[in-house]
Amino acid sequence: MSLFHTARWCGFAVAITASIAAANEQHEKTAVEKSTTAMLVEPFLERFCIECHNADQRKGDRDFEELPSEISDDDSLVDFQDILDQLNVAEMPPPESVQPTDADRLRIVQALTDAIGGYHAEKANVGGRTVLRRLNSREYRNTVRDLLQIDTTIFDPTLRFPRDQTVEHLDNIGDALVTSSYLLANYLDAAEAVIKRAIYPLEKPTVKQWSFRDNFRQQPEVDNVHKQVNGFKHMTLYDVIGADKPEGAYGPILEFAQGVPADGIYEIRVRAEAVNRLHPYDESFVGTDRDEPFRLGIVPGDQTAGELHLHQAVEPLLAEIELADEPKWYTVRIPLQRGLTPRFTFRNGLMDVRGLWTKLIKKYPDQFPRNLSGIVEYRRAAISQGKLPQIHIHEIEIRGPIVDPWPTASQRMLLGDDFVRVAKGESLSEEQLRHYIGRFASHAYRRQASGLEIDQIMRVVKLQSERGTSSLEAFADGCKTILCSPNFLMLAEPTEQDQNTLTQDALASRLSYFLWSSTPDETLRQLANEGQLSDDEVLRSQVRRLLEDPRSEAFIRGFLDSWLALRDLGSAPPDRGDFVDFYRHELGEAMRTETELFFRTMLKENLDLNNFIDSNFTFVNRPLAKHYGIDAPAGADFHRVTLPDRRRGGLLGQASVLTVSANGIDTSPVVRGVWMLENFLGTPPSPPPPDVQPLDPDTRGATSIRDQLSKHRQTPTCYECHRKIDPLGFALENYDPIGRWRSSYGRNVPIDPSGELPDGKTFGDIVQLKEILMDRNVQVKRSIAQKMLAYATGRQVVPSDRFHIDRAANAATGARDLVEQIVLSEPFRNN
Amino acid sequence: MTPFHSPRRLFLKAAGVSVALPALESRGKSLASETHSPLPRRMVCIGNEFGMYPGAFWPTAPQNQVGANPEALSPLLEPLRRHRKDFTVFSHLDHGLNGGHFAVHTFLTGVKSTDAKSMVDGGISLDQRAAEHVGSQTRFPSLTVGSESGLHGGCRISWTRTGTRVPPIAGPRELFRRLFVDGGANEKSQAFDRLDLQGSILDAVMGDAKDLSRRLNPNDRRKLDEYLSSVRDVELKLDLDRRWQNVPKPNALIDEPTDLGLTRDLPKLYDLIALALQTDSTRIATLEIGGSFAASDLGIKKGYHSLSHHGQVQANIDLLVQIEKYQVEQYARFLDRLASTVEPDSDGSLLDRTMVLFGSGMGNANSHTNHDLPIILAGGGFRHGKLLELPEPSLQRVPLSNLYVSMLQQFGVETDTFANSTGTLRGLETI
Repeated sequence: MSLFHTARWCGFAVAITASIAAANEQHEKTAVEKSTTAMLVEPFLERFCIECHNADQRKGDRDFEELPSEISDDDSLVDFQDILDQLNVAEMPPPESVQPTDADRLRIVQALTDAIGGYHAEKANVGGRTVLRRLNSREYRNTVRDLLQIDTTIFDPTLRFPRDQTVEHLDNIGDALVTSSYLLANYLDAAEAVIKRAIYPLEKPTVKQWSFRDNFRQQPEVDNVHKQVNGFKHMTLYDVIGADKPEGAYGPILEFAQGVPADGIYEIRVRAEAVNRLHPYDESFVGTDRDEPFRLGIVPGDQTAGELHLHQAVEPLLAEIELADEPKWYTVRIPLQRGLTPRFTFRNGLMDVRGLWTKLIKKYPDQFPRNLSGIVEYRRAAISQGKLPQIHIHEIEIRGPIVDPWPTASQRMLLGDDFVRVAKGESLSEEQLRHYIGRFASHAYRRQASGLEIDQIMRVVKLQSERGTSSLEAFADGCKTILCSPNFLMLAEPTEQDQNTLTQDALASRLSYFLWSSTPDETLRQLANEGQLSDDEVLRSQVRRLLEDPRSEAFIRGFLDSWLALRDLGSAPPDRGDFVDFYRHELGEAMRTETELFFRTMLKENLDLNNFIDSNFTFVNRPLAKHYGIDAPAGADFHRVTLPDRRRGGLLGQASVLTVSANGIDTSPVVRGVWMLENFLGTPPSPPPPDVQPLDPDTRGATSIRDQLSKHRQTPTCYECHRKIDPLGFALENYDPIGRWRSSYGRNVPIDPSGELPDGKTFGDIVQLKEILMDRNVQVKRSIAQKMLAYATGRQVVPSDRFHIDRAANAATGARDLVEQIVLSEPFRNN
Repeated sequence: MTPFHSPRRLFLKAAGVSVALPALESRGKSLASETHSPLPRRMVCIGNEFGMYPGAFWPTAPQNQVGANPEALSPLLEPLRRHRKDFTVFSHLDHGLNGGHFAVHTFLTGVKSTDAKSMVDGGISLDQRAAEHVGSQTRFPSLTVGSESGLHGGCRISWTRTGTRVPPIAGPRELFRRLFVDGGANEKSQAFDRLDLQGSILDAVMGDAKDLSRRLNPNDRRKLDEYLSSVRDVELKLDLDRRWQNVPKPNALIDEPTDLGLTRDLPKLYDLIALALQTDSTRIATLEIGGSFAASDLGIKKGYHSLSHHGQVQANIDLLVQIEKYQVEQYARFLDRLASTVEPDSDGSLLDRTMVLFGSGMGNANSHTNHDLPIILAGGGFRHGKLLELPEPSLQRVPLSNLYVSMLQQFGVETDTFANSTGTLRGLETI
């Protein structure tokens, strides 16, 4: 059966108009093919496979003795697909065994391909289904942000939600997302917080102004010295925020510890200067970059959450200012919430200055008084007489809140023009209340809310009115109820009457949660209402529109987290002693940004998917470029750079991937090899047998991990899988646990990154391995397509998806093509 | 076997006749309608993330020698010397699981969270199973202290039967506030209004859910059932909150602490847990000593996780043992405190009725194995003072869950199974 035929039959299946005659014809054809398949496949298996994959040996956990000669169910489908995949990449039979001729191989590949295609065609009507899935935390956050147009730079209603369960790194699999009583209790609190932010304050807050010119106390460790040296006339910043026991890393305004009185935008003016940028000391000793201007950061602080001079759980960077080497005024605008106070940070400052005080005086004893001892005296001398880089802030002015427009977008969204009079205490009629409740419910539920559903909410509104709350409060309580309803919290994905195709509303939601992790906007809702989303061209153009919208950041991050496990970056924190730069330069964040910009660019320019395997470009900021040992661009921003050689090309050269596949302490070829098989190549190895003797690492001697592993591999049962795992990992051994290039493991134990793949192909290093992988790009593309389909539909793929995955992967050259193909595919449009 | 009646039996008999006892001043006011058991049973479980270095943990002495031969304590058990009659160390106990760091969270459940669904009790952890038994008798059915940070999300040892991790209380300050800080009159009235509103919201969304349920297929309906049962659970919780709103919280005997990081906070956390037990605010507490435990606060320059990968380098092992010893010292200090606090209306101490389990889901951090877990059980009315050596895994492995069955029975839970247990733990006797 030709591929064309299969495809055509699928088309019929979707339309559900296939006549009985057509079905019969199909049935006959399959029956004939099955016997030819059996005639070819059985002797082949007998000759080349059964020797190892039998009931006794079960090598690779596979036994083909009992395999039916035709695909009878999904289990045998998996086995057939497996055999086909192995033959396609020529991994099986292993090099040391008897090999089929090329003609044999081709014939069997064709027969298996046809058999699998035929099976899929038969099963076209019973694809995977996405189970009712609740919004995960980030979807919830984005949804309320877009629904109510509230600023979520700092505000995070999901902060206390239990962490979402993941399946193979995917955080949006309906089946795995549990609704627990903890979560539901949090939904109640979150709804209250969200609605409060959307509706209040009822009166436009008046703009206030505060000035601070002296009395800049900061933190106990340095205050004593500052009092003597400068009388608190200016604030002084030393450490970066990544320092272990930071001193002068966070400059709080202690006279403004109570924070701003209302939510809104605040204008911050500072008179600040970079001091000692061109310090007289050894550059590598001090560690700041003489070529870079100092950068002042602003983060929020909350005195009820802990000390203002220390790290706090919620501190997004709100603004960044490049400073001149003399005092100047700078003005920025930042969002703040009631009770939050701005704090100043030194983005490219010193690292662990607490230790540096002492080291400075010991290194330059001539420049300081003799006979000093103890941290207190060293610190005093270093601050008063030393010339370490620092930032001084002389004056600060805060003005705000600047609320524009009024009523706010959120208030208008909820109550339109009626907001102003309701805010003054006027009551709304029941009819008006019902109108606004119905309007919000239809937005929140991503479809027209029914009369019955509005009745449910109105009961709460009326009950609250009877309890004596104002019209506005009762309305607000109704809105809170809407945000706790399963109609809002869950993505029900209904299909058209008696069909598998999603309704237009459901398809609009599926599309927006795929590419925005958020609720569909007016345009999508409109297209759904008009029934236009079943049109391929409309879908295609919507994919492009959604990808161009800033909300697609959620897809970039969400998909990379689900595919490459980048979410786990930092969950195994690199050792501070060995990898201080990681903390000094916030490299974790930079690594993530690199990979996100890389993916973003591939989508935007629709670049060839092969760039994931190897590329001649990437994105770096200055610290990351230094980390990679390539020419560093000036300034703090990320730049697209052309790579001087191929060691950093593709995802396998990016520090994000190399860090997340290590544990922050050391690297393991096994762990990285498994990581690559699972995530990059989409062919996870079988788990180790239960009685395996674990490796007890011994780093005392001069043996490398490779030596220790080779002993392990001498056991035949271990060898079976490790011949697939280890070579991939060996190739990555040239990268240390945070992705720096290395050619030996300390103490002159050289690294041998070469390896031999199961099919006998050999490589000398990662660059050569990538060349081999380029020849197998089909496998990589399929693995991405598979992950993307799972991410897009919120369910794990099932065997019958394979046909559609292959079709999407084959039809796509560029990264954006693939997204479009996934959206156009049947599993995406069906449920 | 012990010739004495087990307290469990006594308790079961007593519960039937509803003995009226005078309200215990130090125990705070219980809800008036509750039926009192004579004396409460309590359980505290402490788990760390990287285990205990085996070479310094396992007592070399033969069975039962810990108590008899005071010289036989291992370096990591040395801080417990003064309690040597009060605890038992178990060898060769584990859950038979693999996964390195990714199996640490099974310490109290015996099953991986991904397999929880297939278990009868949904992978519930020991502490939460016991908490179900306590129900609404205390203000907090249980308290779990820990953090979301740390390697791969920390220890994550406390799990509900719906397969969700119990969200941990992050530090001493939050724990203090929950235990002791009451709102003013105004706040209280607001709290009641809020509970009323939340009750109405739940009524309405329950209606929504039922409407929705009718339109769903069986698979989706099962998923929605999670939501429905959560609504019911929260309704019960709101009822409980409403009732407890009228009962003032006990007086704090200490000032509100600030959070200084887990290493420095550890003594305070133990103190607060002891106070929580003493005031009968809860009978179950769980403490996760996760990867956020900073070795630098002990003056150690290397990272805790890094040292656990010691690679057999002696200098690393010494530092690792120093960190672990600190953890055992704090545990010992906690036992001191429980042993020196008198159980009201009895001649015993709090420790006599509090099972204090200390251990980890990690057996050997250097090789990332999860067998031969380090397990210490103190107090709680068991006959202690020995190393209980169980059969080698290669012979007839005894599941750690058997110990949990014994503990649950001692706690008063009528069960003879937990996770993959095969019975109670033979050789562990009650007093």
